[in-house]
Amino acid sequence: MSPMPFTTFQLDALRELANIGSGTAGTALSQMLGRSVDISVPNAFVLPLAEAVDAVGAAEEDVTGVVIPLQGELDAVVLLVFPVADAATLCGLLGVEAGTDVGLSALSEIGNILGASYVGAIAAMTGLDLDLTPPQTVTDMLAAIVSTVLASRAAETDTAMILDSELQVEGEACSLGFMLLPAAGEVQEMLKRMGVDA
Amino acid sequence: MTTLTEIAVRMGEIAVSKSPGDLLVSLGLGSCIGLALVDQRRGIAGLAHIMLPEAIGDGGPAGKFADLAVPELVARTVALGTARTSLKAVLVGGAQMFALGGGNSLDIGVRNEAAVRGMLAAERIPVIAAATRGNKGRTVRVWPGGAIMAKEAGGAETELLAGDRR
Repeated sequence: MSPMPFTTFQLDALRELANIGSGTAGTALSQMLGRSVDISVPNAFVLPLAEAVDAVGAAEEDVTGVVIPLQGELDAVVLLVFPVADAATLCGLLGVEAGTDVGLSALSEIGNILGASYVGAIAAMTGLDLDLTPPQTVTDMLAAIVSTVLASRAAETDTAMILDSELQVEGEACSLGFMLLPAAGEVQEMLKRMGVDA
Repeated sequence: MTTLTEIAVRMGEIAVSKSPGDLLVSLGLGSCIGLALVDQRRGIAGLAHIMLPEAIGDGGPAGKFADLAVPELVARTVALGTARTSLKAVLVGGAQMFALGGGNSLDIGVRNEAAVRGMLAAERIPVIAAATRGNKGRTVRVWPGGAIMAKEAGGAETELLAGDRR
């Protein structure tokens, strides 16, 4: 089965959506830390499931992932991914110890705040009514986290759609990946709401 | 010493081999199951990276769904020269990493393992080793000679099945 045929124009619109979402999240992170945060140009991947994990990073890399399933008019999962060392740096900037319950809970809370900013921006842009469910934070191999999220929405499609951005705290070895993984069919609705479904 | 040729078995894929020097690998299995079928005497092995218990309509390749992947993997190993009665199964993965909702209240990892075991029972193929459940991701490496190693996230690689590692 070939990937869903999105036009260049539609992919640009999705990238713009991710850009505004991650821009808003980056501003929130910057305010929390009192430091500048750089935001990368987002990627919009539409590709067979088999290729999805390799597109977003090294499969076996140990990362801390904050998984936030959405509720409401869009069936999707927001996923924040911190390389383990970068998660530790972020904990340091927040004044908590990495690898402890307090550290994990701080990362969950960061995920919650950034996720809410990201999703709020997307809701405002699309007019979709969206809510976050409580974040779940795990440290594991990147592939295990991403594939489990994809599997939960993969029954009726062999195509993965991933909007992927990166935030980087200026002057620190601290970056995080920001992904939106919508279920099959949901992307058409997003495009429709943005007026680029034709 | 010959160099190993690593064959990545990614989500929904199936690979089989009887060539010493090949190595079948699924990296970072979460709720997915890496199902290995081996015939150690003949040096034939196969690996499927199964994502979901059962196929709904035209949702992707056979390797993605337990109900289609098990017969397909059996057929492809038999095509390399083994007999169905010589095959043994090893399961890796099926972790419950987090609760995701998405229509099914029961955990996908647990349902994946149950579906794979059910299909193997129907094919009369015994499961001789497993590293499943828990909440950690795993990597599995399968040698055609029948050796199988598994590694949990943050852990060391352990031998699930002793065999020829060529």
